[in-house]
Amino acid sequence: MSKEETPQVTRRTTRLSATHTPNAIQSPTKSINLPPLSLHNLVYGEQQEPLTFDDLISSLPGRKNQIFDLLRLLGPVNSPMSPMFVYGSASTGKTSTILRVFRYLNRPFVYSSCRTCYNARQLFDNILNQLLLHRKSENNGYSSAKKCEKPADFVNLLKEALVGVVDGLKRSSSSKKLNGCVNGSMVYLIFDSLELVRDWDKSGTILPLLFKLHDVLKVNDVGLIFISSSSLDTYHSETGFVDPISVYFPDYTEEGLRQIFMRNQANPKLRSAFLDVVLKPFCRVTRRLDELSTALSPLFKKYCEPLDDLNVIPDEETKRKLFSCLQPHIGPALNEILGVTSQSSVEAGIKNNLKRKGGLKKFGNDSIDDIDFHMSTSAKYLLVSAFLASRNPATLDASFFDSTGGSANQKKRRKTSEKSKDLKEASEQELFMKGPGTFPLERLLAIFQCIASSDEYSLENDEDPQETTGLGGDFGENNLMSDILLQVSSLCNANFITKGGSCPLEGSTRYRSTISEDLALKVARSLKFPLSKYLYRR
Amino acid sequence: MATADEVHISDNDLKPFFVLHKASNSQQHARKPVGRTSRKVKVNLSSSLAASDESQLLDDQLHKNSRMKNFHDAWVKIESTIKDVLHNINADVFNEINGWVQKSFGAICSSGKLDTNKATCSYPIVTDVTSNQIFTAFVVMSNIEFVDDLQTFADLGVHLQSHGCHMANLSSVDFSAKSGIGGCLRSLLRQILNGSTDAADISILASWYMEHDNYKNPVVVIIEDMDRCSASVLSDFILMLSEWVIKIPVILILGVATTLEAPKNILSSKAVQHLSPSKFFLGHPTDRLDAIIEAVLVKPCSGFLVGHKVAAFIRNCFLRQDGTLTSFVRAVKMAIVQHFLMEPLSFTVKGLLDEEVAEADAWPRQALDLPSCMRLSEPKSEALLSGASQMKEVLNLWSSVVLCLHEVGKNQRTTLLDLYDEALDPKLYNLRNSDHLEVKPDPQRPSWNYDMHGQSFERQKGGLISRTIRQIRDLPPAALHQLLEKWDKQTEGVDMIHEKVKELRLQEDDNLKEPPTRSRKQTIRNNGNSDKLSEKAAALITCMTREHMQPIECIPFHEIVCFRNADKLQAALVGDPRKRIQLDLLECNKFLKCSCCCTKSHNVPISSMHDTSLMYTLAQEHGNLINLHDWYQSFKAVISQTTVKDKHKSKVSPSPKKRKITAQPQIITEASAQARFCRAVTELQITGLLRMPSKRRQDYVQRVAFGL
Repeated sequence: MSKEETPQVTRRTTRLSATHTPNAIQSPTKSINLPPLSLHNLVYGEQQEPLTFDDLISSLPGRKNQIFDLLRLLGPVNSPMSPMFVYGSASTGKTSTILRVFRYLNRPFVYSSCRTCYNARQLFDNILNQLLLHRKSENNGYSSAKKCEKPADFVNLLKEALVGVVDGLKRSSSSKKLNGCVNGSMVYLIFDSLELVRDWDKSGTILPLLFKLHDVLKVNDVGLIFISSSSLDTYHSETGFVDPISVYFPDYTEEGLRQIFMRNQANPKLRSAFLDVVLKPFCRVTRRLDELSTALSPLFKKYCEPLDDLNVIPDEETKRKLFSCLQPHIGPALNEILGVTSQSSVEAGIKNNLKRKGGLKKFGNDSIDDIDFHMSTSAKYLLVSAFLASRNPATLDASFFDSTGGSANQKKRRKTSEKSKDLKEASEQELFMKGPGTFPLERLLAIFQCIASSDEYSLENDEDPQETTGLGGDFGENNLMSDILLQVSSLCNANFITKGGSCPLEGSTRYRSTISEDLALKVARSLKFPLSKYLYRR
Repeated sequence: MATADEVHISDNDLKPFFVLHKASNSQQHARKPVGRTSRKVKVNLSSSLAASDESQLLDDQLHKNSRMKNFHDAWVKIESTIKDVLHNINADVFNEINGWVQKSFGAICSSGKLDTNKATCSYPIVTDVTSNQIFTAFVVMSNIEFVDDLQTFADLGVHLQSHGCHMANLSSVDFSAKSGIGGCLRSLLRQILNGSTDAADISILASWYMEHDNYKNPVVVIIEDMDRCSASVLSDFILMLSEWVIKIPVILILGVATTLEAPKNILSSKAVQHLSPSKFFLGHPTDRLDAIIEAVLVKPCSGFLVGHKVAAFIRNCFLRQDGTLTSFVRAVKMAIVQHFLMEPLSFTVKGLLDEEVAEADAWPRQALDLPSCMRLSEPKSEALLSGASQMKEVLNLWSSVVLCLHEVGKNQRTTLLDLYDEALDPKLYNLRNSDHLEVKPDPQRPSWNYDMHGQSFERQKGGLISRTIRQIRDLPPAALHQLLEKWDKQTEGVDMIHEKVKELRLQEDDNLKEPPTRSRKQTIRNNGNSDKLSEKAAALITCMTREHMQPIECIPFHEIVCFRNADKLQAALVGDPRKRIQLDLLECNKFLKCSCCCTKSHNVPISSMHDTSLMYTLAQEHGNLINLHDWYQSFKAVISQTTVKDKHKSKVSPSPKKRKITAQPQIITEASAQARFCRAVTELQITGLLRMPSKRRQDYVQRVAFGL
């Protein structure tokens, strides 16, 4: 490996030898020179054996109609085509189908994803680099082939490059050099995740340019394919270009999903028994392939757990047994977005500790938490007050925190008529739908002061005797009150409080607490703070 | 003689003298026994020095230097100790993470390597839906403040790099909404490519990886504080990586400050689909703090200790206010600085540090004047001689007893922080010696507030240690066995206790030798034995706490090594700026020291006060909302030097102009009064004490943050 510094021919062996010594620690300075690109590289997977039509159909279950559509629209070799717009919701196989089709057809194409190319310049660079067969490498300082910022430059350069490539393809096909490898002399430009352009293209010039590209270029041997997750209507299109022909990818049917999940299975019978059980409830929730597969693969492992022999063909009896084992896991999995697996053995110990701790009677000590992360007492009070400020209407603050105001107000309340009750219910509903409310910093600080100072007293009296004597008392007070703004900012950083934009009427920043009631209750419990007493229940 | 002395003193007062002699320590050392008396040496205002009249100026200078040196030594020692402790704590997790990284990389590679062209092509390599997931570790820091873990992640980066990974440490600064996805890509590339490019294009990473590594090592990206990152940028970053997932084997390590819910809340669902997460836990902050306290403060590693009040202050800071190791370490450093600055005898601390230095063992003679020594009954010269070594002995005893207690408390998650705090309390120690531990506490937890003061309350206060001791009695035999083993380890080197622990262990072994299940009777007897054993263990530790756990503040000469001034420390650490501003505004004459307003009591607003301060004083009369008109009127009334009577009148009469003209010696025009009023209001707004009128209530300003 070390001797073969020369590229090209020896490259393959270089890599092969590298595979044999995977653990060898390479020196950081040495690098392999990448081979230059050729026209071969414009085809998907240039060195693979050709794909038959049956393979194409069977490798993409449930997408037969779309494949036919695509093939029809692409037409025979070298036939000009009008722009194509492929759309369908996420994870319906748009990209993979198109790439597969191009692999089957062996036609040269240029793929660029608008996610990887996160601005116009990246997109232009990417396309031009591919067309000019330019590779970023250490030798050229990872620079692009052409510098191109403006759309007008891009069109010119693109035209130039396209003509070059098409000429090259024509020449080689006539000389039969590339025969069997590259089919035809037409180049297809594929733009994936087009919907993202709307986000990053603030000037709104790129989308019209792309849609008009076919007319602007006036090159016959180019095909444009747009892939998007939203339909054409969502691109507020101006007039001036012909709408591309759209191909719709519908969501997978349950049958299609089943075929996909049955691919490459060691024990199809077992798998199908598993799918019988889970696919239906999950399909009701989502048809997205990525979501389903992340949800199903751990479940399948669970399903197989009781089995000793994975190749066993399950009869009815075992199926029932396996189902009863699996059933308790299905419900949680339906709600779980992110299943975090634990790798550590230490963690088990921690959990045990927590459990034991939970069972214990807690001592009057503010170091023992119910929550499993550390937070200082003043931050906890602040969090609780933020929660209260978000949940309670501001008008009720006086009644909750003022010892005189509260009860009087409550008693004055008259009996309400049916109609006003309905009205109240409606407004409650509205409040609920609005979610946690916003509050200015002053209100937060006022509530904080109320609950912290009142609780400080009780806390010192009956829980934390260490604080009362001597220095404890005044320490406690001082410490809770100082550096409050620091605590606010650290709560903001932890995403427990979000800082909203400023309210246009008042001109000051407003905050909103985003924690769940569970967490707030936990925090309050660790403070021995009677949260429910202060919470306004509708 | 007297004149000569005076000359000397005046000479010594010249600064250059000090400067010249500062460097030549050895010469002065030789001259030391000659002795030079000087009377006014109160350089340091420590209480212990106040009595020492005959300390020597040159000595003092010398001692200052050695104190300085001692401070440096002690601090270097403490710093390195803390570093070691943290390193040890993290070592396990780091190894685990490394193992996981290698495993994940194996899993990525198992799907087959790509050839060069495919690995750098722009289209995604579609194989299977699940295969475009990124292996992700959530490293849970379990502390809402993440300052402590900046170093941890840097260390983790170094650790993984030493195992061959290509590392990039990113932080939330790189994931700001402002710089967007380009910003984080740029810094990622800059770190991995060592700055050879400034472009922000992920395809560069792919080419580089093929050129330089070719599937031998993974690319690991650490994002220290995921909670702070801009959600959309982070999601975009993950989605972009997922498009290149097989081509570049990227492994993500995300630091999560609070709970595992956080990533779900932050990331978009699409991005979450592309993560294949695992979780790791860094040490809990209290555990880490315990380890540091054990290494730094319980075991006397540096010849520096803190008294009970300081310990309580530090504990309160940690629990109530900041909760970071960083601030804890800062507090310790501040304490150590102040100690060596204030305590003139701290130059002798070395005797406590080095085991070999026998001749330096004795404390200097000045130490006899320390208050803790005054109480001493035995012959003082002897106490001086045995000085440091005796103290070391006592300290060792103390620390081993504390650690033994901690071993007991570990099961119940009693933190060393609390235990340490209590073990340092000299009052409790005295109480304990007077039969306090023997008092049987109520079987159920007594209500704390049945007696607020006096003996019983004090007893409750010492509850933690006695509770811990009580726990021993309930221990099952296996746990007891482990406990005794740990005690054995902890007390090694402290002969007095070690012997007893050994004895106890021998007894236990005897018990164990009997086959455990011979008959029902036997097992019952065995249980009885083990009960007896745990009683014995409890008795042992009770005895240990009573006899050997002597807090530092009860040891003679403790002033030399022990810092006790919590107020100084508090003043240095807790700024409390908002409260300060408000208090200072109310008592501005204390600072201005002008002759005009000094004489009167500060609460009465008078015209000679500074406008802002005057306004703020007036604002105290109002509640949450201040009516601008009223405020202005009273302000104007005060600055036009009306008497109280006139002020009342002005409130009644609606035409202030008339009154103003009649009742003032110097003429304040309406315009200048308004201008002064406006400026003062603006100043108050800038200091954050006021909010300007809102559209809803145009004639009111709102007071902000009163009392905070």
